[in-house]
Amino acid sequence: MPPLLEVRNLTTHIRTRRGTVRAVDDVSFTLEAGETLGLVGESGCGKSMTGLSLMGLLPPGGAMVGDSSVALDGRELVGLPERDLRRVRGNDIAMVFQDPMTSLDPTKTIGHQVAEGVLLHRGCSRAEAADRAAEVLGLVGLPHPRERLKDYPHQLSGGLRQRVLIAMALANEPRVLIADEPTTALDVTIQAQILALLADLRARLGMAMILITHDMGVTAGHTDRVNVMYAGRIAESTGTDRLFHGMRHPYTQSLLASVPRLDQDPGKELPTIPGMPPDLTDPPGGCRFAGRCRYATDRCRTDEPELTGSDQHRYACWHPTDGPLPPSATAAVPRATEAAAPAVHDRPLLEARGLVREFPVRGARIPGRGRRVVHALSGVSLELAPGETFGLVGESGCGKTTLGRLLVGLDRPDTGTVTLDGTDLGLLRGRELRRRRRDLQMMFQDPFSSLDPRMRVGGILREPLQIQGIGTAREQKARVAELLAEVGLPERGAELYPHEFSGGQRQRIGLARALALTPKLIVADEPVSALDVSVRAQVLNLMNRLQASHGLSYIVISHDLAVVRYLADRIGVMYLGRMVEVGSADDIHLRAAHPYTAGLLKAVPVPDPQLERAKLGTGISGELPSPVDPPSGCRFRTRCPLARERCADEEPALRLFGAGHTAACHFPLQQPLPDTPAKAATDASA
Amino acid sequence: MTAYLLRRTGQALVVVFGVMVLTFVMIHLVPGSAARASLGTRATAERIALFNAANGLDRPLAAQFVSFVQQAAEGNFGTSYSLHQPVSTLIAQRLPRDGVLLGLSTLLALSVALPMGIFQAVRRGRVADHVLTVVSFVLYSMPDFFFALLLVAVFSVQLHLLPSQAPQAESVAGILADPRALVLPVVTLTLVSVAGFSRYMRSSAIGTLAQEYVQVARSKGLPERLVLRRHVLRNSLLPVVTVLGLSAPTVVAGAVIAESVFNYPGMGLLFFQAATSKDYPVMLGSTLVVGVATVIGSLLADIAYSLLDPRIRYVDA
Repeated sequence: MPPLLEVRNLTTHIRTRRGTVRAVDDVSFTLEAGETLGLVGESGCGKSMTGLSLMGLLPPGGAMVGDSSVALDGRELVGLPERDLRRVRGNDIAMVFQDPMTSLDPTKTIGHQVAEGVLLHRGCSRAEAADRAAEVLGLVGLPHPRERLKDYPHQLSGGLRQRVLIAMALANEPRVLIADEPTTALDVTIQAQILALLADLRARLGMAMILITHDMGVTAGHTDRVNVMYAGRIAESTGTDRLFHGMRHPYTQSLLASVPRLDQDPGKELPTIPGMPPDLTDPPGGCRFAGRCRYATDRCRTDEPELTGSDQHRYACWHPTDGPLPPSATAAVPRATEAAAPAVHDRPLLEARGLVREFPVRGARIPGRGRRVVHALSGVSLELAPGETFGLVGESGCGKTTLGRLLVGLDRPDTGTVTLDGTDLGLLRGRELRRRRRDLQMMFQDPFSSLDPRMRVGGILREPLQIQGIGTAREQKARVAELLAEVGLPERGAELYPHEFSGGQRQRIGLARALALTPKLIVADEPVSALDVSVRAQVLNLMNRLQASHGLSYIVISHDLAVVRYLADRIGVMYLGRMVEVGSADDIHLRAAHPYTAGLLKAVPVPDPQLERAKLGTGISGELPSPVDPPSGCRFRTRCPLARERCADEEPALRLFGAGHTAACHFPLQQPLPDTPAKAATDASA
Repeated sequence: MTAYLLRRTGQALVVVFGVMVLTFVMIHLVPGSAARASLGTRATAERIALFNAANGLDRPLAAQFVSFVQQAAEGNFGTSYSLHQPVSTLIAQRLPRDGVLLGLSTLLALSVALPMGIFQAVRRGRVADHVLTVVSFVLYSMPDFFFALLLVAVFSVQLHLLPSQAPQAESVAGILADPRALVLPVVTLTLVSVAGFSRYMRSSAIGTLAQEYVQVARSKGLPERLVLRRHVLRNSLLPVVTVLGLSAPTVVAGAVIAESVFNYPGMGLLFFQAATSKDYPVMLGSTLVVGVATVIGSLLADIAYSLLDPRIRYVDA
């Protein structure tokens, strides 16, 4: 019997103005019913394009060439007329896309969008299609599906929209489901729920699944076999367990090593992969990874390795390695002497007290209910010592970005104070405030939209100096060259425009801009979440190095707990506008007191198949409640497994669990220190 | 939705009042006088005084404005100084002509421009797109009187296929009863506006085609034709609706040039003549009509917007 899906010599070319991109090059694999195959690699490695090739949905100019073959149950799909291919698409093979916010038509009801495919493939009546839509929406866990058929996408949260997208793909009970980064745009808590849902559905419906992802943690927990792709080709292909513990390809080894893990030693630099993937319009001869490989020899640069090995484990490498990189392989993170002993400072660099920030809800007021506001921050305090890194974690909508903006003075709190070096920022106006801004800089998430595309990099880096009137033109130019050197970019980069740089290089420019005024504090909002893993490690190492050489303090905002764990000395966990737990990185990871912290940690996928599969449950159920109407008492109680009546009636105060470790919970997971009122607790954390 | 409509109508009334004040003030600021224009340069001071008294022009401006507003509320815009007919009658005669001419040509232009825009977006960067882009720009940059004359020269004078005059009937039914005579004026105005609409539709559809939900629709197995009709068309219409709402006043303001070439006296010519002869009542009346049309146009665009896009509909719910 032929395998359910057999892909042989799949080669996809895309003709563009710049030349022909060999997006997928000679890729072969099989897939059996009930199995999940992972396609793993960095952006541009051809994993999404493989998925689109299977669907026959290539972009303009794209075509499968040579003797490419995709056979479903023995039936060849390549070369099939479009009419016949349409019967397969959405019926036998279906796809779930990455971004739930843009993947649903905003002008059609979700019922209509799910029923559309049913109507098309099953030739049933509209009423029957609507029934089926309600049925699959129930299957994917949408509460009250029948009543929600008439909802529009914007009325649903991101997590629910992703469920709707999955329902659309499942409506016709496809035999193969291609999930392209199905959870990348979601919070870890929701990611865990969606991945569990996909696994459950696959088992129940007996589907085969292709899971396309860049996340090694997701791969570890949710695939049976993995194809690691690099530059359009398969570099290594084997069972998931073997891949993580006995990989043979140096690329797999480096890829896995460069992901910061929760148990990462923050004292060691992260291993990185130097350079960038090759340009696929003109791929190099020989092994495509040779240019970035630590083991490469002359043979690698001239002869292309074939995929060899046993049926269980195949890899394309002349000098296969054996297993993961030892943890001691990298240098120690440089530490400034100052940062080594933050306790010496009697005064914190930055102090925030009782910050409250509310935003009015747009639209008409509802009579009798007064003004409705989003409670973005409801009384948050924190302190930061010079040279210290404070990490802020929490789901999107918890207020961490609002807090970051308040701390650098980009926004003002409704009540509460932000004090920098003893000066209350709220009292500063005009010229004084502008001068103070030198000390407070920000680094943004998106390296593509945070740099003005029509300014040269030199101009971008000089602008802060010009605004603050620092130095002569000549001195400013010298400073620009100095900054570029510090972040590891060539001096001639000053003459180039942002689009001439890669994402990782642009994030370095963002960091250089933040450094231009030699600030005391940089607030980095998701500094690496838009970057590929190998580049992520480079930027994280750079941030560590610059902190040591400049004695900087960082506030790192991230949804990625491993990144925060790696960078931060202390971590604050936020939930719906409140700080629910603060402690040292170890306090948070090893001795979490708040059930939310524990659930959040559990939801983070770990790049280790055994650990990942041994997990029971998904961490935290449900979704973040509306910040317009936060729950009474403890705001987390609606999702908390330990919640009791008292949690609804009484707001928990911050209690002390150890030196500098506080949490706000009535029924904490750790034993609090005896009799510590909230005030004493916050003072003790200083 | 009702509350929204009420609020928008309230705002519209305020705007219309503002339009009345502004036009009234501006018309009276312009040098020269209605009496001179109407009676000729050699009129005696006595006759001018008589004219002013008869038309209430000797009263203070504020008082004149109050009676203008009072009468306008009753549908009375006074009597034309030069044509000696009630302004409301004049407008009632002219308005339907423009309604037919510009209404028809706008509808026709949209029915050509929307598919053309989508077609160009789908074929973006290919030969057909480039050809249509060139055609659009040629049409857009050509003055409409040149077009009108060209069409008349070819189809009426040379080929004797179509009349060179627009229908001369005064009622809507009468005008529509002579469709052959409507062809040339409607085609002229259509060609001029197709270009603008299709450019908007093209760029908007290019944006929509890049959206992920279009790829999702394809992944369901929908034929491209249905993908375009169900998911691309409606989402691309939004920016076009704005332009359409803004062009509503042109339907009642008339098209001076087309009207004169095709001998089809409408609002455009009426206003033009009134402006040259300082015919205050006619100017005020037609400006008000255009002002009201502008306000109604943007109101309709907003309503259309909320019908097309559920996200806007629910903001106010």
